[in-house]
Amino acid sequence: MDAMSYFLISWMDPWLLFLLAAGTFCGIYIGAIPGLSVTMAVSILISFTFSWELNDALCLMIGIFVGGVYGGARTAILLNIPGSPSSIATALDGYPLAQKGEAGEAIGLSTVMSVVGGLLGVLALAVAAPLISDFALSFQPRDFMLVAILGILLVGSLAGDSLVKGVFAGAFGLLIGTVGMDPLTAEPRFTFGSMNLLSGISFIAVMIGMFGVSEIFVQMRFMDRLAMKQNLSRIIPSWASVRKHLPLSAQASAIGLGVGALPGVGGDIAALMSYDYAKRVVRNPEVPFGQGAKEGLVAPESANASAIGGAFIPMLTLGIPGDAVTAIFIGALFIHGLNPGPMLMIEQPHMFWFIVGGLTLANIFLLIFGLTGIKIFAKIVEIPKAILLPLILLLSVVGTYALQNSIQDVYWMLGFGVLGYFMKEYGYQLGAVILGVILSRLIDENWRRAIISERDDLGSFFTSLFASPLSVVLLTVIVLIVLSQTPLFGMLKRKLSR
Amino acid sequence: MQPNPMSGGGEDKMSVATPTSPSAKPKRPGEDIFGLLVLMGSLFLLWTAYQISGFSSLSSPGSFPMAVALVMVLASAHTCWDNIRRNRAKVGIDRTPLLSKTAFVFLLMIIAYGALLETLGFLLSSFLFLIGGMTLLRAGSLPKILGLVVLCLVVIYVLFRLTFQVVLPQGIVPEAAIISAISDLFAGAK
Repeated sequence: MDAMSYFLISWMDPWLLFLLAAGTFCGIYIGAIPGLSVTMAVSILISFTFSWELNDALCLMIGIFVGGVYGGARTAILLNIPGSPSSIATALDGYPLAQKGEAGEAIGLSTVMSVVGGLLGVLALAVAAPLISDFALSFQPRDFMLVAILGILLVGSLAGDSLVKGVFAGAFGLLIGTVGMDPLTAEPRFTFGSMNLLSGISFIAVMIGMFGVSEIFVQMRFMDRLAMKQNLSRIIPSWASVRKHLPLSAQASAIGLGVGALPGVGGDIAALMSYDYAKRVVRNPEVPFGQGAKEGLVAPESANASAIGGAFIPMLTLGIPGDAVTAIFIGALFIHGLNPGPMLMIEQPHMFWFIVGGLTLANIFLLIFGLTGIKIFAKIVEIPKAILLPLILLLSVVGTYALQNSIQDVYWMLGFGVLGYFMKEYGYQLGAVILGVILSRLIDENWRRAIISERDDLGSFFTSLFASPLSVVLLTVIVLIVLSQTPLFGMLKRKLSR
Repeated sequence: MQPNPMSGGGEDKMSVATPTSPSAKPKRPGEDIFGLLVLMGSLFLLWTAYQISGFSSLSSPGSFPMAVALVMVLASAHTCWDNIRRNRAKVGIDRTPLLSKTAFVFLLMIIAYGALLETLGFLLSSFLFLIGGMTLLRAGSLPKILGLVVLCLVVIYVLFRLTFQVVLPQGIVPEAAIISAISDLFAGAK
């Protein structure tokens, strides 16, 4: 009964209800605008809510978190510009749907599936938190490295016309991520003597450039084409459609939950992994993946929403952040005198259930706000390109400058935008570049930790890969993915089907 | 493999390249040169990665960058080889220009905008860029464009500068003095 009463605190208090609603609403629009990240918004809120009651501050931040992760899907669908890294996979099928005039349906379906994934994530948080956190604790550095490599290898599934170009793009992204000071030894890498490069290249600047600016030049080829009138008569998906996609949503949510629970790996990886999973399990989609398959929306949106619940698991149970936003939440809890970790659930269980209640309510508000205001949002697509394209460039510049008040970020953004356009024209996968930038530090640090623990002995390192069942499973999956992209697999498949 | 809207080429049909067979997709103008530039760039990055810490140890700061740069060199070399095979297979060239004249001029405007952003300040440089860009792309008559630009700049300024407290370059516009004067005006009115 105590747990239930703590769960319902935010439901019964009008002020807390308002804060959750306002946070979710603002989060949706913050998430939708490239350059305005959820991480930035929540970190600004820490100082803003310093003198507030803890419950009030948490409600606002939870709302922004839940709304912001979802919000990136809107511009991903309407403009092919993911508002956040967790929406990169959503653009792959969401944008083609919008190009066919079905933006309303796409946004409606992504909203409902985000809510399904979010609620499943919260349910798992409530029920399985201690179990999942124990599993996450058993991950060694080599396992984190293998998970990250697995994420990069999904490039093979996302690559358009050339696996080799996809691998190059992923490697290029990994290299961009190494620019700056080495995290373990502070040695400068690829700085060329420049002080500005010591802090590295912001991956958000790269993302805005490669997705936002390059898309501007792609769209300029179709200036004469009339803006597609979006069909917004059907926003709320039919019950039959929801029921049809529920099994995939549940499976993708499980992936999101597991990935979100891994410290340092968040909704962006979860979304890409679940997109790849959907491509493999959905044999005969009505529309091929990459051309507007609804399954291509359902999987990543469910996964990135459930990853939120997953990210809270190690944060609340171990005091280890699941991603950047939960790292900021830990800071907020410290400021207000709490100590997240194993003792939090014993000494102050009310905080755990309060957060679970807040997350549940935020998902309900997401359903309400996510299915309304779409018509205004979709009007963006109907704005003439001559007005829209310069505005997108302006917003990209502002959003990039907002990161660190640095004009260097803007220059990188523009440079990567131009490079991204040419890479796109010549068949390189831009999503793979962004994925590489995001995963670079994870692979680099965990590789070095793993090899240091084996005293720089490569033989011992490979032997250790077979030492734990978890490493064996991850390695096997990696090998299978690599083999599945080779002609050998095709030959084997043909022989077996005879 | 499924065609992917993010891999470029718009609505062109995609044909799959595998490590052993060249793609049958027509080439784009400059594809060979781009491939060579990418290969040269990758070799340069491999050399730069080597200079971080050489082959000192597997856990050195340069080990991961070297491994990644090597993958880039191998991948770009394969792409150059594939381009040669496609030339021999006479796949043809898709002659749609990479950048139209309008797009090229727009690109120059973007570069100028970036260069002037800090000098002139956000408001003035953005005003000039939006006017120039919308005029180039023929968004409408000059009065209509002017009105639109002013409206957009007001909304963006209120949203980013005042609401989210994003400090944008001030440049030659005495923004702080103007805001202070407006605040004094309201304070005086009260």
